[in-house]
Amino acid sequence: MITLERVSRLVIAGVATALALGLIARTSAAPLSFHAGSTPRLRLSWSARPERIEVCRTLSAEELAQRLEHMRQRVSCEGRFATYALRVESDGQVIGEAVVHGAGLRHDRPLYLLREFDVAPGVRRVRVSFTRREKTDDDAAAFAKTASTGSDTGLFAGRAQRESAEHARRAGAAIPARLALDTTLTFAPRQVMIVTFAPERRALVLLGGSGRP
Amino acid sequence: MRPFERPFRRLLAAFDAAATRAYGYAWNPFYQSGTVAVAMLLVLIGTGLYLLLFYRLGSPWASVGRLAADPWLGAWIRGLHRYASDVFVLAAALHAFRMFAQGRSWGPRTLAWVSGLILFGAGLVCAWTGFVMAWDSFGERLAREGGRLLDVLPVLSEPLSRIFAGDGPVPSAFFFVNLFVHIAVPLVMGVGLWLHVSRLARPSLLPPRGLMWGMIGTLVAAAVIVPAPLGPAADPFVLAQTTPTDLTIAWWLPLSERFSPGAVWATVLFLAAGALSVPGLVRRPRTGSLAPSVVDPRLCTGCNQCPQDCPWGAITMVTREDERPTLVALVDPARCVSCGICAGSCAPMGVGPPGRTGRDQLGALRLLVLPELADGGALPIVAVCCGQGSPAHVVALRARGAHVHTVSCVGNLHTSVIELFVRRGAPGVIVFGCPPRDCLGREGPKWLHERVFNDREAELQPRVDRQRVQIATLSPGDGRASLAAFDDFARAIALLDRPVRESAEDFGAVCDPVSAGVGDGAP
Repeated sequence: MITLERVSRLVIAGVATALALGLIARTSAAPLSFHAGSTPRLRLSWSARPERIEVCRTLSAEELAQRLEHMRQRVSCEGRFATYALRVESDGQVIGEAVVHGAGLRHDRPLYLLREFDVAPGVRRVRVSFTRREKTDDDAAAFAKTASTGSDTGLFAGRAQRESAEHARRAGAAIPARLALDTTLTFAPRQVMIVTFAPERRALVLLGGSGRP
Repeated sequence: MRPFERPFRRLLAAFDAAATRAYGYAWNPFYQSGTVAVAMLLVLIGTGLYLLLFYRLGSPWASVGRLAADPWLGAWIRGLHRYASDVFVLAAALHAFRMFAQGRSWGPRTLAWVSGLILFGAGLVCAWTGFVMAWDSFGERLAREGGRLLDVLPVLSEPLSRIFAGDGPVPSAFFFVNLFVHIAVPLVMGVGLWLHVSRLARPSLLPPRGLMWGMIGTLVAAAVIVPAPLGPAADPFVLAQTTPTDLTIAWWLPLSERFSPGAVWATVLFLAAGALSVPGLVRRPRTGSLAPSVVDPRLCTGCNQCPQDCPWGAITMVTREDERPTLVALVDPARCVSCGICAGSCAPMGVGPPGRTGRDQLGALRLLVLPELADGGALPIVAVCCGQGSPAHVVALRARGAHVHTVSCVGNLHTSVIELFVRRGAPGVIVFGCPPRDCLGREGPKWLHERVFNDREAELQPRVDRQRVQIATLSPGDGRASLAAFDDFARAIALLDRPVRESAEDFGAVCDPVSAGVGDGAP
């Protein structure tokens, strides 16, 4: 039987349900502030292998004889991975400085860089430099000097060349000792300009400007 | 109940009362919080399977956008998926709050509490990955925050945040792993759910059919009327001013973004440790009303009824150690929550929590209650109330002239107590139990009804006039209905003849099955 109480309860239930659903729908897509201001941002992001700084020497015949046959590498290198100084300037003012090294406990993993800097909107001269902190000769060249001594015969035929090539490849894959980007950029409000390392060009490049990829 | 839990209990009662006023206790979704969460999980799986057919790892935002633009199926199924996830989180949170406020988070319920918390956390992680899948501005924001938090942990060789930096496209592998987690977590949650209810006999996994389909239908209507929005595509070259954020699920995001990852992890670990240690913090000695049930093997006839009625699977039948040929009940104290339902199920009154067995109930009645009541002559109508009921209800019943007899749970009430009241001259007995899905003993009202009206073992004897017995529901927020039930019962009783009052000796000879030298509590 339909009573007034039943009808009023149905109305209350309907209103309560509508309110609850409205609340859920509202909170399901609430416009929540993320970046409150209109400041643009300069983002530096890249990963690369740090250079390996090594001191190499050619092993003597006696030293080689003491090693197992498959361990007889003619050139022995010892060293560590380079560290880099990052410096970011906007209109001549330093807005960021840091020392960057390879990841991992022994810093022997690739280095990963992700830094963000707020800059004022408008035209800005931006300078980014990424420079190896250690002063040393080029590793590949140092190795080549060492590796070229002596000759390979028999079982070791061509091995010195292969080792030299491998060192050269590794040196080539590492980030250059000095990278720099010096450019004038127009920052629109809320725009993000990204500076990254392009391995194929072995240089810092800009993304997000007029030539946005 | 400890003072620490009392304010939470009051708050819960206020919520329950408001919902009961709107929907009635039978349709009160707050009483169904756990089963509603499971129902929503099933809705999420069903709708998720459909959405998965159209999701593309290589172009996540575009594929979700196509779904959102499809008015026939895609838009509302996606909306249902979204809203069901919101209701899931709300229902699960309310369920945890209810269990805590009602003191159901410790002792034998520790496993359910801990597994429930893990399920809740898994649900949030699943929702997190679901929003990232869409890869709109909100998904990107969640992904960035996730990357920021994960990068401080020594688990990933390359920082996760870098792949969202914009110096290259976000790899499909990321979306694949994200999708994998989004699908795998609900599967793990299925196992977690099994663990969650593993200590329950006859667990109720779904709400009543009408409520379940009503809720699903309402959510579908909401999804049609207010489709779930999709924010602009993630763009690493633009700083979004706002994001369309789901605050039900990502309520923590504005806070998390303000603090360092270390501080966030410390807070999360602190809160998680606090929540997981609740069973240890709120536990109390298993004595008095919390003592587990015990079996008197001299009285146990091996009828196998108490294991069937126990809602927690805490009783098993084992071989006797004496020469009698029957089995004997054995209570596992680690699973027993002291609800006392076994006491109500035992015709020979041989099992139950100390002080609350059928024999204890009858003894207390004879010694304390009946002499006091009979002092004034004719007995009033007796209202047996669950101890969880509102004190205001008890006051209102007393104002109507009823004698209020309180029990820990109506499932604990032995039917012989009802019989004793009637045969000692009470014109009627009305039993007020909790709403069926809010009984702390889980199945108290159900078993009482079966014992009184459907001859379930430990049944109310046929000699008791059923016109003089009624079972009603007492729900916070619906006191008027329960008092109306009492008034109706009183009017019906008034039409009956005054019952014949039997002497204590007559009753004892008929009603007490073990009074002649077998038990130790014979009157």
